This record gives sequence, structure tokens and C-alpha cells, in this order.
Amino acid sequence: MTAPVAESPTRTMTPALARRPPASSRLIALWSVYVLTLRQHLHGKRWMVIAGMCLLCVGLVVLVRATALDFPPLMLEFNFGFMFIPQAVLPLIALIYASGIVQDEQEEQTMTYLLIRPIPKWALYSAKLFATLTTTVILVVGLTALTYAAVYLGSKTGIKEASYRALQAAAIHSLAVVAYCCLFGLISLLTKRILIVGILYALFLEGLLANMPFSIRLATVIYYTRLIAYRSMSFVSAVPGNPDRTTDVAAEIWQLDVHTDPALLDHPQMRTCLIVLLVACAACSVLAALLFSQREFHVKTPEKA
Amino acid sequence: MTPVPQSLAAQSPTAPSPTPQSVAAPRSIVEFHGVSKWYGNVIGINKLTLRVPVGVTGLLGPNGAGKSTFLQLATGQLYASQGKIRVLGQPVWNNSAINRQIGLCPEQDAFYEWMTGWDFVHTSARLAGLSRAAARDATERTLDAVGMTQYQGRAVRGYSKGMRQRTKLAQSLVHDPQVLFLDEPLTGTDPVARHDLMTIIQRLGSEGKSVLVSSHVLHEVQTLTPNIILLNHGRLVAEGNVRDIRDLIDEHPHHIVLICDEYRRLAGRILSWDDVEGVRVLAKEKGLMVETHKPDAFYSRLPQLSLEDGLAIKEVYSDDDSLESVFKYLVNK
Repeated sequence: MTAPVAESPTRTMTPALARRPPASSRLIALWSVYVLTLRQHLHGKRWMVIAGMCLLCVGLVVLVRATALDFPPLMLEFNFGFMFIPQAVLPLIALIYASGIVQDEQEEQTMTYLLIRPIPKWALYSAKLFATLTTTVILVVGLTALTYAAVYLGSKTGIKEASYRALQAAAIHSLAVVAYCCLFGLISLLTKRILIVGILYALFLEGLLANMPFSIRLATVIYYTRLIAYRSMSFVSAVPGNPDRTTDVAAEIWQLDVHTDPALLDHPQMRTCLIVLLVACAACSVLAALLFSQREFHVKTPEKA
Repeated sequence: MTPVPQSLAAQSPTAPSPTPQSVAAPRSIVEFHGVSKWYGNVIGINKLTLRVPVGVTGLLGPNGAGKSTFLQLATGQLYASQGKIRVLGQPVWNNSAINRQIGLCPEQDAFYEWMTGWDFVHTSARLAGLSRAAARDATERTLDAVGMTQYQGRAVRGYSKGMRQRTKLAQSLVHDPQVLFLDEPLTGTDPVARHDLMTIIQRLGSEGKSVLVSSHVLHEVQTLTPNIILLNHGRLVAEGNVRDIRDLIDEHPHHIVLICDEYRRLAGRILSWDDVEGVRVLAKEKGLMVETHKPDAFYSRLPQLSLEDGLAIKEVYSDDDSLESVFKYLVNK
């Protein structure tokens, strides 16, 4: 290291901050946290896992279409777009990204560079969460588009109808992944074992309990997204092997009793589902931001020193 | 060297909090009033009361003395279990506005490794709230100031230790703070980088910045400033002028570790120096442990040795046995 030391390091430095009002300065700082977090997502290795899941999903759709030619596209859409993706892929994407909101910076010891800036801690967390939501929503929209392309390309369903359904599914999936991110972001501040807790949560609460016709499913994200999907989209499909018969596949698999309650009056309306999910997202985010603002981030002295 | 009780008695810990006017020109940059910090059952800082004056001050202490805890408390990263902390007259915990006036060069060798040096410093400037144009200007000036302009386009992951320390220093300076906290900024650097970094820190002081430099090596700090604060086991051992403890230091042999690929040739060269009393080969680490009673003279010759003899000394660090023994002496006095 033989670089020459330049003359006067700070003599000519203008006090740029002194001239800048704190509000705009804070906005710049927050925007920088947002951009930095997005760039971290791009440079991480998580996207490889996500790409793997996308390939798996699309690959399975192609495999089913290639081996079961008479399988109705709508049923294929339901199985992948509304069973496999929301149940397995969305919680995993959210867990992978939301668990790193705080823990990545802690593990890599770069949190210091954020904490010593003129940014309130709650705003710092919020900016990082917002960036995480951006990344996950983009990924989910991409995954949904690819899955729907795999399901409907070359089928008898018109492009317009397929595109509209894909758009609806993408919106529902985005809402679900946002809710999962807010929830997992909060849990990551409560436990260091977020990956284990998150997987257990996804398996038991969202996977097992949400599929039971009991009121405990009211406490799951997937229940509300299913209701939104059911109330906004049709899942009446021809039965495989018997094209003359139709079945309401969603009502059957999601344990929605449409025989005795055709309008599903015992279940929340779409508007209520939306409000519940958005309020839950807001509550988790606010709580997490408050927790973060009161948290200490101790950096241990490196061993060698 | 002022022993602790007298020194603290001379100050006025109960002085009223500075008004906004006095914040602009405070008498002290950091004030700790009866501050303790516990990590569970471990004490990091123990009932510490002190004032860090304006100017360059050295924060000295062996490993585990509480220097990093002190700096993390002073920069609002940690919350004091007990007592009050003020920086520039303002409380620091959850006071993000104070960070506009503060720069921190942390001890940990952590970066966003995928960034280039320029990108890292520019991002730091933007995180500090500088506009795009101001951040660009400040980044260029600061990288130039720390002598990193020619390496600014390279990824941080490929930097040497010295380059990384310079880059860390640059990110702490980029928003032109009034107060700088430098946590072991010279640790692990080669002699030339060490010399350059010292020059930069001295210059910052001469330009009116208040700098608090932590180190476990007295000879690093005394080159930068005569004002030192000595910590040990989380307590204030002494504070004042460094000259007063020089004699104590010189009573004890000083151990310096040099890491160099050509450590055997380096040993031959160093043994010819009168002030070197012994050299131990550390073959496993590819280095030497040098024992000397005149560390100042030894340190001052190192950059030249690197440049003239072509011996690329990769790393220099001091075993702080000598300082530890002085601390023991001071504590038991």
C-alpha cells in the first residue's frame, strides 16, 4: 500500500449537510437504504433458491401437461397457482428475504454503517422492509406469470382470459407475500432461529390448520387469500377423464361448504379479508419497527485485535 | 498523567446541559456521567464519568478494557445500563439527528464486499443524506484525502488491509462530521499505510475536527496526540498528558509482531538495530516478534525498511503486554 496521501483531506470539504434541510436529507438517506437493500438482494445468493423454485414449479406444470393431455388447464392452474405456490413457495420466498432484513446486516456486521446515519431506527427498518416487499412482489409476479404461461400457452383458453386470471392470481399472491414478509420480519426480531420458526409456522399453521374447517384458520394468511381468490375467480372445472361433469375444485379442497351456504355468508367478505390482511401487515410492521428502534446492536471486538 | 480522582474532581460533571448555542462550540465532545454497561453478567463499562475534550484524544486500553463499548455507547449503538451520555451536548440514544455531526470508523473489518471503494463511500454519503451531486463531490474529495483515488474502481473484497482501513476512514469522513470516532484504525495495517493513516488523522485534528482514536498501542496514539484516556476493565484508570506515563512504559519491554513473507531476511536486518533486544521467529504465522525498549524509534524506522529494503511487511501489531503491565501498575498504585 504505497498510495500517496493527498493534501488537505477536509480543508475544501463544504459542509453540505449544513445547507440542506433535515427533512429532504432524511428522505435521501431513506431512499439510499431502500436502494442499498435492493442491491443487497441482487447480490445475494437467495435468488438462486428462488430461481430453483420457479423452475420446479414451471417444470412440474410442463411435465403434467406432457403426460396427462386431457388434464383441464383450470385444474392445473388451481393445483399450482392456488395450492403449490401459496402453500409452499410464497412463505418460503417471504421467509428467505424477510429473515434477512435485520439478521443479514448483523451477521455481516454492516449494521453499524446504517445505525450511524441520521435515520431514525424505525424508519431504517421500514425502508428495509419496503425494499424487501418490492423484491418479493416482483419475484412473485414473475413466478405467477411464468406458471400461468406454462399452464395456458397452447391451451384452448383464450389469451385474454388467461391473462386476466394471471393478473388476479398475481395480485392475490402479492398480497399474501406482503403479509408473510411483514409477519416474518417481526418474528426475525423476536428470535434468532427465524428460519426454523418460519418453516414450522408455514408447515403447521399455514399448511395444516388452514386446511381444516375450524375457526383457527381465521388466524392464517392463506385462509383470507383463498377467500379473496374464491370470491373473485371461478374454479369450476371439468372433471379429468369425464369432460361432461364439472366440479368446484376450490370449494371442495379448501373446505368451503357451498352446499349449505352457497354465498359463503359464514365466511368474511372480500373487503373484510382485504382489511384483515392489510391491518395485520400494518400491525406487524409497526410492532417490528418499534422493536427495532429499541434494540441494541452490539458488535463484538474481532478476535485478533 | 493525572490520576483519576483528582482529574475528575477538577471537572464539573454536574454542569448544566449546554444550550443550543453552546452545542455549536462545546467544551467537550463526549460526556459520560456514571455510565455502566452490562452484557448479562459481564461488565463492559463500569461507572465511568469523564469528558472528552475538543481536539484529538487517544482512548487507550488493553483488549477487553471497554474501548469499543465506550465508542458504541458514544455513537448511540448501545444503550447505557446506567448513567447519562451526551455527545456535543445532546443525548445519543435514539437521537439520529446527532449522527449528522458524527463519523465512526468501526473496528470490525466489515464492508458490502461486492461494492467498489467509490461505491461504498458514495453510498455512505447518500446514507448520510447528501444529494447525488454533493455525494459525488464528497466521495471524490474524501477518497483523494485518504489516498484511495487510484484504487476506487476496484471491488472492496480485493483490497488489502490498509486499503480497507483507508476506505473505512473515508466513509466516516464523507459527510464532513464535526466529531470522529476511530476504533483501532491502525490495527493490522502495513507500516506505510499506518504512517499515512496517522498523517491523515493528525491533519484532521489540525483542521479543527475533534477525533477520538481508540488503540491498545500507546505508541500509535502518542504520535497523534498528547491527550489520552486510559481505560482498563471498563474503568477510567487515568487521563491527561501522555508524557507522564512514558517513563512507566519504557520500564517494560515492548513486543511488536511483524508479518512478512521474507521474515528470516527481515530478522537479519532488524537484529542489526541497537534498540532491538530480541527477535523470536513465528514460523507458523510467517512473522517475527520483536522485543524493544525503544518502540518509538523502532516504529519510526519501519516504513523506511519497507520502502528501501523491499521487505513487504504485511502487518504490524503490538502485543499489549507492556501496556497491560503499566495498567496494572496504575491500578495498584
